[in-house]
Amino acid sequence: MQTIVVIVVISASLLIAGFSYLRAKSLGKEARKKEEQVRHRMYELAILKEISDRIGYSLNVEKIVDIITASLEQFIPHSAASYMLLGPGKILFKVNLRKPVSPLFIDEVRGRMLDSLSALLEKDLSRVSVEATVVGVLTDEEAAESVNSFFNIPLVIGGNVVGVLTVADSAEGLYKEEEMTLLYKIVGQASRAVTRLEEVVKTEQRKLSAMVESMADGVVMIDKDYRVLVANPSAKRIVGFLAEEKPTIFDFIDALTGVFDIKGKLEEALKTGNTLAMDNVAVGERVFHILISPVSGHGTKKTELFGGVVIFHDITYEKELEQMKEDFISMMVHELRSPLDGIKKMSEFMGVDPAIREDEKRYREYIKLIHEGSSEILELVNDLLYVAKIESGKFDVDVELADIKDIIKQRIRFFETTAKDARIELTSLFDKNAKSEIRIDPLRISQALNNLISNALKFTKPGGSVVVQVLAHKQGQSIESEAQKVGIKWFLKDKEEKLKNYPDALFIAVTDTGEGISKSNMGKLFNKFKQFESVVRSGRRGTGLGLVIAKGIIKAHGGIIGVDSEEGTGSTFYFILKS
Amino acid sequence: MGEQEQYKALIAEIVAKQTVILGPKIAILKARNVEGLVVSDDGSVIEVKGNPDKVLQQLIDQYVELSGQIVKNALGTIFAKYPAIKQTE
Repeated sequence: MQTIVVIVVISASLLIAGFSYLRAKSLGKEARKKEEQVRHRMYELAILKEISDRIGYSLNVEKIVDIITASLEQFIPHSAASYMLLGPGKILFKVNLRKPVSPLFIDEVRGRMLDSLSALLEKDLSRVSVEATVVGVLTDEEAAESVNSFFNIPLVIGGNVVGVLTVADSAEGLYKEEEMTLLYKIVGQASRAVTRLEEVVKTEQRKLSAMVESMADGVVMIDKDYRVLVANPSAKRIVGFLAEEKPTIFDFIDALTGVFDIKGKLEEALKTGNTLAMDNVAVGERVFHILISPVSGHGTKKTELFGGVVIFHDITYEKELEQMKEDFISMMVHELRSPLDGIKKMSEFMGVDPAIREDEKRYREYIKLIHEGSSEILELVNDLLYVAKIESGKFDVDVELADIKDIIKQRIRFFETTAKDARIELTSLFDKNAKSEIRIDPLRISQALNNLISNALKFTKPGGSVVVQVLAHKQGQSIESEAQKVGIKWFLKDKEEKLKNYPDALFIAVTDTGEGISKSNMGKLFNKFKQFESVVRSGRRGTGLGLVIAKGIIKAHGGIIGVDSEEGTGSTFYFILKS
Repeated sequence: MGEQEQYKALIAEIVAKQTVILGPKIAILKARNVEGLVVSDDGSVIEVKGNPDKVLQQLIDQYVELSGQIVKNALGTIFAKYPAIKQTE
């Protein structure tokens, strides 16, 4: 019995001891597993933080992969950590050796990585040049081990394969699933972070590109090696290239030969760090103000020179305007000088020759000439004052209820003699539906009509006709149909659609059977410089500013003024006043 | 070739391609995580148990989870050889 008890006790003790041993072993395994997990997590956090810090100021994939490969030593045993990156026309292959391996080992890694990339891209890469760099420990020519453990991690940015990262060792069966999976996870997170930042950068780049593309100024940007980085459509147009072409610096040099030494000026700007300006540079038929400036930015340590930029600002229009202003002033002086000279001479004669005072006929003739000369000057000065007031926005109209029919009739009577002398038929035609009393400044509207009628008479040959017509327009109705109904004949056709939707209004038109106006000249009719220039060059009397003044008067009434014409047949100058 | 056989051949080609892309060890380990898929140490597909379509999807999911959508994109040419089997989006 005692023996049995002893056996039972010993058995129980052995069982407890065995259980305790197994339990302890299990707990130790769990603790080690936990410790391993913590180590992995710590590594993951450390490497992701380092990558995140690095991405903060660089989107260079090579640098990011360098961080990962350099950090692998503390996490996973390996003979070599390598990466391949796809570049333009070549593959960059970098091997970071931890153990001395043979060149054959490196060749084997290279082959497996190329196979991986080829499979990923479904493309034969055997003919692509591979630029290899080996860092870390020295290779061992004698080492005979081959690659026995390895895994490849595809490097993907923005959905595109950019390369592959490979961890390899000569020992067999070295890598566990958990370790490998963690590395895939880290690389995946880094790739996503770079992708997100690249998206942000690309969006900003797109905005900047769109801005540069849409600029009216020509912009050419080059890098330090004079490669053209940016040439916007305006810049291409200046040197005669199409928007889709990609001119090089040599194309710009050729196109600007004898005009502007673009390379020389860029060299000077890059060397001195100063912005150079060149004024009045004629390229073809255009004139440019050109700025040549170095482009630099703040890098991590000091200011870094990126290249240079050339900006072509087209000043052709300003130059033309400047020329027109000069012509205008000199012509105006000339126009004033002629009558003033006449007045001066007449008064001198009258002063020095007492016989003139006694000869009443001659005296009256001289007085008449002085009056005509001074009236001419006054008319000129008045016109200029009107234009100045219109342009400064100080041209006021004194609106009241007035009878437009009466005003037109009065104007017809006023020009009757002139028309008769010129053998031109001057008539008027009123739409019966037209409301004659409207709110206008009668004096100014008379002035506008004077300008239009006198112009029409001036440009109509003897035997021709000038007719002042009034049409009551209803919104939405065809102007042409409305005119036909009341027997109005004019040249208003082209603008019919545009005018159709004009609110209820009175169309007042002066139509002549003159020489007509070409389409290219129509746009110049209401421009003060162009008008004055054409009048002076044609040798006609007056300032030619009548249409400019008429436009100002009608605009001040809230109306619009325009012209339509058939070359060789005649013209219709019209203005519209709300009824 | 029967449907089951087609699936087996397709899965075998996928594992082989992922072996080249990712390396043999990880490609096989991930394939072995798929329920119903029996893969030998050299990467050969020994057996596909149960619903082969489900096995195929789980296999692709394993690789996509590991290294992203790009590995799935690289399977287009393999699927082209098996028109009866559709690749899910």
